[in-house]
Amino acid sequence: MEVKILSAKFDIEGAHNIEVAKEHGAYATLDKLFTMDPAEVTTIVKDSGLRGRGGAGFPAGLKWSFLPKDLDKPVYLCVNSDESEPATFKDRYILVRDPHMLIEGIIICCYAINCQDTYIYIRGEYTSQVKILQAAIDEAYAAGYLGEKACGQDFRIDVTVHRGAGAYVCGEETALLESIEGKKGQPRSKPPFPAVEGLYGCPTIINNVQTIASLPFILAQGADAYKAHGTEKSSGTHLFGISGLVQKPGMYELPLGLPLLEVLDKVAGGLREGRTLKGVIPGGSSTPVLTPEEAQTVTLDYESMAEHNTMFGSGGIVVLDDTVDIVKLVENLIYFYHHESCGQCTPCREGLGWMLKIVKKIIRGEGSTKDIDLLLELCDNIEMKTVCVLSAACTMPVRSYLNKFRHEFEAYVAGGASSQSAM
Amino acid sequence: MAEKIKLFVNGQEVEVESGKNLVDAIGAVGIEIPHLCYHPALGADGNCRMCLVGIEDGRPPLVPACKTRAVEGMKVQLDTDKIRKIQRDVMEFELVNHPVDCPVCDQAGECKLQDYYMQYDGQKSRMSVPQVRKAKHLDFGCGVIHDQERCILCARCVRFTRMITKTGELGIVNRTDYARVTIFPGRPLANRYALNVVDLCPVGAMTSQDFRFKQRAWFLTKSKSICHGCAKGCNIFIDHNREKYKDDIIYRFRPRLNEQINGYFMCDEGRMSYKLENEQRLTKPVLNGKVADFGTTVEGIRRALSQAQKMLFVVSPNCSLEEMRAIQQFAASQNATLSGYSDGYIKQGDGDDYLIQDDKSANRAGLELLGIDSSKTGFETAVAEADLLISFQNDLTRTLGAEACNQLKERMVLISIGSHEDSLTQMAAIMLPVASYSEKDGTIVNADRILQRYAVAVEKNAPPVTLIQAVAQLGGEITSLESAWDDLNTVVAGLNKVDFAQIPEQGLALTDSEVSNVAA
Repeated sequence: MEVKILSAKFDIEGAHNIEVAKEHGAYATLDKLFTMDPAEVTTIVKDSGLRGRGGAGFPAGLKWSFLPKDLDKPVYLCVNSDESEPATFKDRYILVRDPHMLIEGIIICCYAINCQDTYIYIRGEYTSQVKILQAAIDEAYAAGYLGEKACGQDFRIDVTVHRGAGAYVCGEETALLESIEGKKGQPRSKPPFPAVEGLYGCPTIINNVQTIASLPFILAQGADAYKAHGTEKSSGTHLFGISGLVQKPGMYELPLGLPLLEVLDKVAGGLREGRTLKGVIPGGSSTPVLTPEEAQTVTLDYESMAEHNTMFGSGGIVVLDDTVDIVKLVENLIYFYHHESCGQCTPCREGLGWMLKIVKKIIRGEGSTKDIDLLLELCDNIEMKTVCVLSAACTMPVRSYLNKFRHEFEAYVAGGASSQSAM
Repeated sequence: MAEKIKLFVNGQEVEVESGKNLVDAIGAVGIEIPHLCYHPALGADGNCRMCLVGIEDGRPPLVPACKTRAVEGMKVQLDTDKIRKIQRDVMEFELVNHPVDCPVCDQAGECKLQDYYMQYDGQKSRMSVPQVRKAKHLDFGCGVIHDQERCILCARCVRFTRMITKTGELGIVNRTDYARVTIFPGRPLANRYALNVVDLCPVGAMTSQDFRFKQRAWFLTKSKSICHGCAKGCNIFIDHNREKYKDDIIYRFRPRLNEQINGYFMCDEGRMSYKLENEQRLTKPVLNGKVADFGTTVEGIRRALSQAQKMLFVVSPNCSLEEMRAIQQFAASQNATLSGYSDGYIKQGDGDDYLIQDDKSANRAGLELLGIDSSKTGFETAVAEADLLISFQNDLTRTLGAEACNQLKERMVLISIGSHEDSLTQMAAIMLPVASYSEKDGTIVNADRILQRYAVAVEKNAPPVTLIQAVAQLGGEITSLESAWDDLNTVVAGLNKVDFAQIPEQGLALTDSEVSNVAA
């Protein structure tokens, strides 16, 4: 089932090193790139159907085309590698195992959108990853791929790595921009959208690491080769991070559109001996949970996930078996989003903390069914009332647990602590 | 006038000014969109979420009104179940961690949280878990006390120090419900406008060290006036209260919006100058070192005037135009030299490029308008010959120093007609107390030559005699404001078309020669 497009060089010893990477085809697309018209590159990316791999799945080529024409301002590219969504660990593989694929992707994107300055916003906790990435960038400068005359062309490309300071919300694209500008990482109100007014007030494209890293393959092999994988509306491959209670957790590159349960069984080794499936988090902690029944029919693509009232998200699949205490999982979930709320908007700032305390109260055995109802209502009262979707990233999954596993909450209310252990 | 556009609010067509956001545009026609973080002087921030409104057929369908421009034909949904629920929910979130200590909070009575709770919320608390505890009674400097538990993190104060004073002492640290407004360690507020954050704070998180616990807001009478602290003439509210069996006392000044002059703000020095209206006030006339009644003292001054050979009248640059004219007329009738010499009221280099002026007097432009000589040489020539000097509220010790004034006292009869006890009134052989600006009507011209009227704000138990009345009793021809206005209209070329009774609230700019507010 696995496909090696993005992960082609992941298992090659020393592929983060430019010499080794080049031996295996890195930077090979650049000769072709500079013979093309920038608009042509955008068209190929549009045709490939590549969707933003940060979680929202917005078509990448379409995003680029939102840049205003005839600009008197510089265009910035920000590569989002703030990978902080719980259960998501795909971008780190690219950063560590094939950083030159990312750099090559950056060069392609810069050429397509006429951008000279790129910022890679990297999660602050990625300390070893940032060293490898920076070393690769230094190599690319030394080899002439980056710099004043990038790739020997009359085209400057500078890449700057900006480390975050430990805020999940800085993965939200406008908070990311604020953070690069040296301000407190708080999302901006939109409009204006970054493509029109982004970094330092200039048009800015923000793409996920995996999105940018997909570009060399698309350019080298063509849009059709990429579309050969996946489904009609969810083309290509994705790095899936499968974690939780399976036999073989790990990072697997798969084409989009595969049946979820088949992947869990055949790729991730299935559940542990004697365990039954309780639920699946399909794409990072912020996506609504799927019940075993829903998991039967869902496939790993944007449309099927939407049909099942959840989201494809970041490809971070978490498998929950019958040992998982959903109430404690929800406590952990709200704890995270509460802790990471930037504190800007009233509903998120005050509401998530309130929800956390209510769940804790339920776990202490002091809750009532009223508290469960209140939790559900608070989800509605908070969601979509804020500048960004961080609050919704909490309330959407919490609502799904409350609706699909209400009996577990009621068990706490009725009889104090549940017999089940925490995850 | 700005261009008008038509849009719909709750299905009803309204005509509003274009180019404004929905809060201001719709607010101007009397439809309130509740908001906490938005302030016209600080722009939209969009953090409180209280101003969320629906836009029919809009993308997105739910927008913060403060960040949304009014557009022709827009269909704004405000009075719908959905929006009312959002307002109620946001208020609930604002209050979950709020101490609700209204009984001991200075903001009570003028608190947005209280007002909005009554208007948009009204439900019982559903909070059954412990609240977030934060710090209280933090001294932020400049007389500003902060209570983090009452704070709703609207960031108005933070934006004020960044956008208006550009000093940036305040910031919000931490995330989520641990977020709080604070200063940098050891770096308190240090700007001359800091107390504006107390007014800006929509709740009781920022209180004034000076005002807190003195009065409940609802007991205060809020009278419009003009600050006399410097030549800017900032528009203010005088908040005062006459408690039972006591005299009327002023408790604070607050800035009053005047786009043409001070905008929404005022300086701390001007704000704290309210104390001068309460303290060191002259109440009892003094004749030759002894307290005397008013009539006897007036007689004493008249006698001194009749005996004098060369008289010098010195008028204060704080006097109103009407008072200046009355004194000018009286001086002419008495053949006295009139001087407005008052260089001591100017603190060279003290002003800034915002509101604060070097000139600490309120109506120096009035002296110029009436052609009253304020020069040092003019004063020195006159004082050398004089054997009698009357100071009309002009504390000459500020200009000449106490020593020089003491020497004057030895050579001539020194008479002081003033409202406040100062070094000169203490030296004067005869002293007559009169009203200060909060107790009378008048007209002044500020440094930018804007004519402004102010009216009686405070009614004392024993109303002091006004300067015009005092001058009239001494023999002046001008006996009232109205007679002063008639005189000003005829005597001062620049004012002959000014209807003093009709000076607009925003003031009348005297910049062009043909200034007129008389209906054609």
